[in-house]
Amino acid sequence: MTLSDYFEGEKLLKKYGISSIRSWYVSSAEEAIKRADGNPIVMKVISDKALHKSKSGLVALDLKTDKEISSAFKSLTAKAQTLKPYKVIVQEMSKGGIEVIIGGKTDPQFGKVILLGLGGIYVEAFKDFAIRVCPIDDKDAGSMIDSLRSAEVITYNSENKRMLGELLVKVSKMLNGTDLKELDLNPVILRKDGYDVVDIRILK
Amino acid sequence: MGVDLRSMLNPKSVAIIGASQNPEKVGHIILQNYINSGYAGKLFAINKDAESILGVKAYRHIGEIKERLDLAVIAIPAPFVPQVLEECGKAGVRSTIVVTAGFEEIGQKELQDQIVEISERYKMPMLGPNCLGVIDTRARTDTLFLPTYKLSKPGVGYVSFISQSGAAGSTILDLIAGEGFGLSKFISYGNAAYIDESDILEYLMNDDDTKVIIMYIEGIKNGKKFIEVARKVTKKKPVVVLKGGRTSVGQQATLSHTASLAGDYQVYEGIFQQFGFTIANDLNDLLYYAKTLVSEPAPKGNRIGIITNGGGAGVITTDAVGYTRELKLAELSDKSKQLLRKKMPPLVNIRIPLDLAGDAGGDRYETAVAAMRDDPNIDMIIVIALFQTPGADSGVVAKLVHFKADIEKPMIVISIGAEYTQIHNRMMEESGLPVYDSPSAAVKALAELYKYYNYKGRK
Repeated sequence: MTLSDYFEGEKLLKKYGISSIRSWYVSSAEEAIKRADGNPIVMKVISDKALHKSKSGLVALDLKTDKEISSAFKSLTAKAQTLKPYKVIVQEMSKGGIEVIIGGKTDPQFGKVILLGLGGIYVEAFKDFAIRVCPIDDKDAGSMIDSLRSAEVITYNSENKRMLGELLVKVSKMLNGTDLKELDLNPVILRKDGYDVVDIRILK
Repeated sequence: MGVDLRSMLNPKSVAIIGASQNPEKVGHIILQNYINSGYAGKLFAINKDAESILGVKAYRHIGEIKERLDLAVIAIPAPFVPQVLEECGKAGVRSTIVVTAGFEEIGQKELQDQIVEISERYKMPMLGPNCLGVIDTRARTDTLFLPTYKLSKPGVGYVSFISQSGAAGSTILDLIAGEGFGLSKFISYGNAAYIDESDILEYLMNDDDTKVIIMYIEGIKNGKKFIEVARKVTKKKPVVVLKGGRTSVGQQATLSHTASLAGDYQVYEGIFQQFGFTIANDLNDLLYYAKTLVSEPAPKGNRIGIITNGGGAGVITTDAVGYTRELKLAELSDKSKQLLRKKMPPLVNIRIPLDLAGDAGGDRYETAVAAMRDDPNIDMIIVIALFQTPGADSGVVAKLVHFKADIEKPMIVISIGAEYTQIHNRMMEESGLPVYDSPSAAVKALAELYKYYNYKGRK
């Protein structure tokens, strides 16, 4: 299995009407500062040797000043020396919300399956997730959300639930239409008025 | 169009190949069971040496029988099975059940492929190999090679049971025999070489004598085919499933969170949820859920009324309702409150759980059930009857059984105790009233009933 390029993933998502947070590869602290353009950013190291980016300290959040950006670039690239080949990516900072994971995989028996769970750092700890075989419709998406123990935390109003349901149906379409082995959108940050896909991991 | 299993389950003529005079041989026991269950069709024994076995005329060869057979039950050592199947095909036998073990399950894949090829060539559906075969309580067919004294056989009912494993199958069958709801069909399909779980599920989906399907599986032969059937079957009737083999040993290292979470069982569980299957976590769950699903109507909502003659049991049951995600405690309507206050003695607190007190007899139960039956705030009723109390006796049973015929809401009973209680429980169960010996089992059964009809009615 090989990890697809981040921006290839972004392009694929876009093709299915799924937007992701603005991101750029950078090769120097100066470039990162230029991309930030005065706004807070997130900096991450991408390498197929690192599955748990935040656990391994490969993510720096809410970098506001040029100084913060420079020192984050320095420390992240230092940590990444054992993870070669690696890339550094900067992204707009999400305004925050509830983190979920939306994923997929090709099951040898049943074909493409889609997963929704409480996301971010809670994925492994609470193992609160639901799986369905693709394609799913809006009823399936609704029942996926409802079957989570954290359903009420994740969707605090009906608009929010509808939005997440639509997103799940789109991801299911993408999974069915794409030759991939594994997919992680983790986390997807659910806001009151939308969502931010802040990490894309596709294995082919 | 699925595989037609009628010639296996309800054959007009059966040959037992490998019938033997030795009572310890599988072929002997199968023949004996056919005779014991009162099978009314034509029975033939195939044996190289004997003239007759258990009073049934024996033939040396299936070709000697001068009529077309619906079914051949094959109980001879594995290496001889291909030749015998070939003979069955030539004789025009409509279907076969191969109970013999010693095929793919022990690595003899080629031998299994060979018997599949023969069955396909003659378009002769084969169940097994390595299986217990079938029971059809209405057709009085029984191919199980387990002696009658070791295993109680269930009465006639509307629950059908599919089992991949023979051993788990016979254990559950024995447990079903202890329940009042009975059995329609039992199908143990073993290696699923020709007929697999999806074929059987599809057949039972269209079977009028099957109202609930329970299944024990460890794996699925063909995932895509299963999904196609799963999508349809639960729209017609409930399926309770117990999946063995949940923990996967030596799961592969994965590169994504999704793949590390979505192991084999998790995918199965997701599919069961998606298609409205009722998931059992233990052998007993299969019975607990089937019992209520087969006898109770669709609930209108999720509000539970509880009647009890013991405070503690009422509280424990109320707690169990609170633990579920699906159900909630009902509140009595003002009309019910007024009615109950008028008719109940002052020591009865008019609320849910409605505690009728230890001296409650049939009359107090009658008043309480009637009130809850007519109360629009109550969707399902749990009646707790503790027969250790001074007031409870057969009079309570008589009232409850009477209501069973006259109520459109789901109503189940919790009754816990030894011999005296068991006698009363049997009376209620035989009348189609589900009885549970545990509050949590009873409440879970109603939660699953609610979930199933919620799925079925989903627009």
